Amino acid sequence: MQKEAEIRDPLILGNKSFHDITKDISKPVEGKANKYWWILFSLSMVLFIWGVLCMAYTIGTGIGAWGLNKTVNWAWDITNFVWWIGIGHAGTLISAVLLLFRQKWRMSINRSAEAMTIFGVAQAALFPLIHMGRPWLAYYVFPIPNQFGSLWVNFNSPLLWDVFAISTYFSVSVVFWYIGLIPDFAMLRDRMSAKTAPMKKQLYSFLSFGWSGKAKHWQRFEEVSLVLAGLATPLVFSVHSIVSMDFATSVIPGWHTTIFPPYFVLGALFSGFAMVETLLIIMRKVVNMEAYITIKHIEYMNIIILLTGSLVGTAYITELFMSWYSGVEFEQYAFLNRATGPYWWAYAIMMTCNVLTPQLYWFSSIRKSFVATFILSIFVNIGMWFERFVIIVTSLHRDFLPSSWTMFSPSFIDIGIYLGTIGFFFVLFLLYARTFPVIAQAELKSIVKSSGSEYKNKK
Amino acid sequence: MTKAKKYWKGLAELNNDPLVDKLKQNEFVEEIPVDEFLGDKELPASSTSRRDFLKFLGFSTAAATLAACETPINKAIPYVIKPEEITPGVANYYATTMYDGHDYASVLVKTREGRPIKIDANKSATNARIQASVLSLYDSSRLKNPMKGGVDTDWSTADAEIIAKLNEIKENGGKIAILSSTILSPSTKQLIADFSAAYGNVSHIQMDAVSYSGMLDANEASFGVRVLPTYSFDKAEVIVSFGADFLGNWLSTDHAKQYVTARNPKNGKMAKHYQVESTLSLTGSNADDRVQIKPSEQAGLLSNLYSALNGGTADSRIAKMANDLANNAGKSIVVCNSNDAQVQTLVNAINNKLGNYENTMSLSNPSYLKQGNDAEVAALLEEMNAGKIAALITYNVNPSYTLQNAAAYNAGLAKVGLTISTSLYNDESAAKMMYACPDNHNLESWGDANPSNGVYTLMQPTISPLFKGRQFQESMMAWMGKSDYHTYLQNTYSSIDWNKSVHDGYFTQNQAASTVSSFAVAVPSFDLGKADGIEFEMTEKISMGDGSQSNNPWLQELPDPLSRACWDNYLTMSASTARDLGITNWNVSNGALNGNMVNITVNGTTYNNVPVMIQPGQAVGTVAMAVGYGRTAAGKCGDGIGFNAFTLGNGTATLEVVGGEYEFAATQLHHTMMGRDIVKETTLADFINDPYAGNHQVTYATHDGFKPASEVTLWDEFDHSTGHFWNMSIDLTSCIGCSACVISCHAENNVPVVGKEEVRKSRDMHWLRIDRYFSSDMTKELSAEEKISAITMYAEMEEPSGNPETVFQPVMCQHCNHAPCETVCPVAATSHGSEGQNHMAYNRCVGTRYCANNCPYKVRRFNWFQYSDNDKFDFNMNDDHGKMVLNPDVVVRSRGVIEKCSMCIQKIQEIKLDAKKAGTRVADADAQTACSSACPTNAIVFGDVNDDTHQVQAMKKDTRSYALLEHLNTDPSVFYQTKIRNKA
Repeated sequence: MQKEAEIRDPLILGNKSFHDITKDISKPVEGKANKYWWILFSLSMVLFIWGVLCMAYTIGTGIGAWGLNKTVNWAWDITNFVWWIGIGHAGTLISAVLLLFRQKWRMSINRSAEAMTIFGVAQAALFPLIHMGRPWLAYYVFPIPNQFGSLWVNFNSPLLWDVFAISTYFSVSVVFWYIGLIPDFAMLRDRMSAKTAPMKKQLYSFLSFGWSGKAKHWQRFEEVSLVLAGLATPLVFSVHSIVSMDFATSVIPGWHTTIFPPYFVLGALFSGFAMVETLLIIMRKVVNMEAYITIKHIEYMNIIILLTGSLVGTAYITELFMSWYSGVEFEQYAFLNRATGPYWWAYAIMMTCNVLTPQLYWFSSIRKSFVATFILSIFVNIGMWFERFVIIVTSLHRDFLPSSWTMFSPSFIDIGIYLGTIGFFFVLFLLYARTFPVIAQAELKSIVKSSGSEYKNKK
Repeated sequence: MTKAKKYWKGLAELNNDPLVDKLKQNEFVEEIPVDEFLGDKELPASSTSRRDFLKFLGFSTAAATLAACETPINKAIPYVIKPEEITPGVANYYATTMYDGHDYASVLVKTREGRPIKIDANKSATNARIQASVLSLYDSSRLKNPMKGGVDTDWSTADAEIIAKLNEIKENGGKIAILSSTILSPSTKQLIADFSAAYGNVSHIQMDAVSYSGMLDANEASFGVRVLPTYSFDKAEVIVSFGADFLGNWLSTDHAKQYVTARNPKNGKMAKHYQVESTLSLTGSNADDRVQIKPSEQAGLLSNLYSALNGGTADSRIAKMANDLANNAGKSIVVCNSNDAQVQTLVNAINNKLGNYENTMSLSNPSYLKQGNDAEVAALLEEMNAGKIAALITYNVNPSYTLQNAAAYNAGLAKVGLTISTSLYNDESAAKMMYACPDNHNLESWGDANPSNGVYTLMQPTISPLFKGRQFQESMMAWMGKSDYHTYLQNTYSSIDWNKSVHDGYFTQNQAASTVSSFAVAVPSFDLGKADGIEFEMTEKISMGDGSQSNNPWLQELPDPLSRACWDNYLTMSASTARDLGITNWNVSNGALNGNMVNITVNGTTYNNVPVMIQPGQAVGTVAMAVGYGRTAAGKCGDGIGFNAFTLGNGTATLEVVGGEYEFAATQLHHTMMGRDIVKETTLADFINDPYAGNHQVTYATHDGFKPASEVTLWDEFDHSTGHFWNMSIDLTSCIGCSACVISCHAENNVPVVGKEEVRKSRDMHWLRIDRYFSSDMTKELSAEEKISAITMYAEMEEPSGNPETVFQPVMCQHCNHAPCETVCPVAATSHGSEGQNHMAYNRCVGTRYCANNCPYKVRRFNWFQYSDNDKFDFNMNDDHGKMVLNPDVVVRSRGVIEKCSMCIQKIQEIKLDAKKAGTRVADADAQTACSSACPTNAIVFGDVNDDTHQVQAMKKDTRSYALLEHLNTDPSVFYQTKIRNKA
């Protein structure tokens, strides 16, 4: 039982009773999809299929189908990889870190944020696989016993660290997410009629692992959640730190930077929250969750975006300063070239979208507007994609020896694969919205109860 | 004790009814009607039992599965009778001669299982074209049969008809003309003489695609001998070249070696090299002092130089040169590329005045490399057009392509009764002739050559003829009713030890040379005038030469050392002329180079939509284009590329800018060093004062004072002090940028050709590239002096100077002992060997390309596609003949893996095994990589740095030695030697 402060605004609007919540959360699963859902789903499916065809073409003919060259050996592939991984970060932060900090407002959004994490990481994981010249030998990157003699993976390689970091992150995220889902699946199971929907009933019975709502179950549930939150919290920081080491441990000017781990983690949270906002603003419309995902939630997230955006901006300026201060001409040129070279426009987009536009959140009217937030969240998503593009391509395209300098231009396959992963992500997310309880209702009910608004209104 | 319960099914069981027992015996209460449900009454009678059925089922499933899983089978067929000298897996080497009418070299050919796969230098140095000629052998566009009127025929039919016609001509007293390239072979000349004797009225005319006739005529006029002098650049202290590209295409391949001998800074002096030219040539790019002139100014300046040497006033552009020449009489060389006998007479006068004859150049020991006679060719054309020639036999020439007035030749050809081509190809000329009697390739033929006085080299076949061609000499003998050129050749040299000479590939023998009379002609004089308008000059590319090998994909993809473009010819133009005409070059979104186009008219010939390449070093108001392109009947690689500059000829050009843009394929898109210490250079004077000039070590500030990068390291050093430690030294003073090493590397390591489109996407596969940097007017010093902002400074640094200083830097895998690539590979596909090489395990590579990103030298190459057996890459690796050139010791890489220079590990392994078998140490001379063995100037020295006697150890300790990007502390096994220029 928690004490409710009078001055706090309610986190859920509409004076919902427990039963109202149950009904609202079950509705998308039990009812039929609305028009918006079908439009979005068809669009996403088309993109997804297109992406699959582009990937198949790449694997069939060779990486030459992309725009890469002898100097720029990574471009959209790794840009997309880092972008998707970054997007995944907000989910874990919301569900794990905010749980540990007892931030109750996370309850309306943590389920979807975590779903986003898992689907985002799934997209991200595709890229290291398909960017390989010989993806059918991808199992070489796992330290598995083999018949090739004493062949072993190279533990010095940051790419190998990536393999471990991402697989750990993915599995912990999935487990954490699933544990939270168990009482909610049980709720759905209990509402399903064995006569009208026997298959669904069976499915949700299976998924809920025999949850019966006993006090012992609740106690274990709480404990496991806390333990997993404790496990997941360091992962929020480790995964993107390790991803950043792909660059930080190299010798290429513009990559070889010790600031990268914190800079990447902040950028990831920044982009993750932006993506959560993009998704939730769509989702609250598509599955009618306006009462649960309120402007309050959006405002809190906007504050985090403002904070992380400013920190990312600080990191950009620190990089510039350090390159000048280092006195190393290669470093100096790398950053001068970023800002004024042939890719100045990418740098300008990055700076505008990541540093300037989030500053608009200082204004309360913008911070508290769904429309403005939606637009700005798209800006941040674009800006963060360009941040990775700038880091990867503008550092590589002019490195040490001017004789090798060249440029990069994406092929339509590059673009197709990127759009395909966006399609795939939305396909997964939309299917999730129709089959999963999109809000952690069991947890949510705990804050409704504490407010006791029903009784207050009766007086 | 509990009482055991008893359960029963019915009263009958409880009562122990016997029926129950009986039923228990039968599994089924009623008999199952098996026969009925199987339906087939004859089944029990069938011989196929259930076990058989299962056997068949199992067998057919297994068979189907195995058939589906079949991997391609490559069959190796053993020798039924093994040739005595061939051991599979062991190479045989044969000394022979390479001469295709344009390039000459005495070479050593490596054959494996009867296939020539590599050409190396023997008695003379090789160039890129000679290195690449081994692939031309396997060109499947070569003629495979004799042809008559474009239809295949057989030799006996063709011979019978030809002999009949020749006899008819002989009876009628008709004139037979033999039009050939310069013939170096004394036995062939003898054979032609025999042919003349047999058929009476025979004239033999020699022509060179790129003519030296003016020079020969001048020598005949000046000294009474129609020969070229041999040059000794090594004895010269001042070298002046008026446009002659003597390090690249001009005459002998041996000049380069002599040149670097004369310019060894170790000796404390270097020959001073002046170049006066319009188009930046390979030679000009190496010059200490380069003067840009228009072609029309050449004669005037030479005249001025001559008068200056005789006490007159020198033009300001050549005043220093005139002074240096005057001070080095007898120790200088003046050469000129002009094909005008008057101008060459002037050059002879200058050399004569300086007393260079018989000191640095010799006519008493002449060179016979070029003997063509333009006047005779012109006369032949007239006779042909007048219908006075009854029969024409061509050998090693392609006049319909290389003659400026090819139209006149073609018209004349139609009036000749019998025309016989002996070309290897059904080329532009052969297609217009009645009979094509294909010659054999050099590597399939017997022969001899007499390149200079007293020197003879022999040619021997290294493979049986691939097609049904027949050597030209055999054809000539057949038409005289004789045969066996091999014996004829042997009989030509009856006094020598034949076997030893064939083994060595050469022999020397006293040879009578014509008497050289003293210089006693009037010295022509020219005005120092300068023509208005834009002047056009024909040039020759290192890769393509006269275009005879234009169907060779290695050469097509060899970047020009100066423009760095391949698969093309184009009009080169200076930036300032281009600016006046409103022409630019620019990079598109993927970095590739595009340019504007012009219509050009020279000497009445117009080419439309000719791309313009802005070339630093091109004189203002001049344009140039390389010959060797614009072929129409070369084969699938060479056809339809560029324009035929032979047809234009030198002269005044009219240019008209047209719309549209052209797509170039260049392997280097950025032309300056951007103020970085990549090629370290200094002047000779500074070097003499301070042996470390230009090469002061990079140091880092530490708490312990300034330390070099190698002492501020996180690495645990591997002990390389014992065993082999292979290192390579590249002397940037000696490297002239000739690119022979690039082709040598291609041949040795099965480097794929990727084609123009892929090169445009910056995906060339060269393991070894020669970076070329031009100097820029903007320098760091200037920017500091004038307080120019960094942004402006770097923007201006990107622009090369109008008359730039040029440096060449061969870059291959540096085999870093602290390799950035090795630490980042997730699967350990690239790792370090104990002998200092960075290895690449193709089988293990999954293709993340992380290594390529992290390579500061950008030498790693990725197989973006499958480059072998792929119709989209229809070059030698997609051709049954072309594949025969592949080195069996080096794997052909599949798509999706990274490849790079291995320091020719297969060659190192071979010499190590040979030494082990012989029980000796690895000899210094044996340790060679493909690039080091091909280098004509010995700029690339490879060897074991732990061997105290090896040159490479001394090179490593040299004051000029430095590692590329040494501040990174990658500790490469390849190191460079500072470039020294002999300038003030």
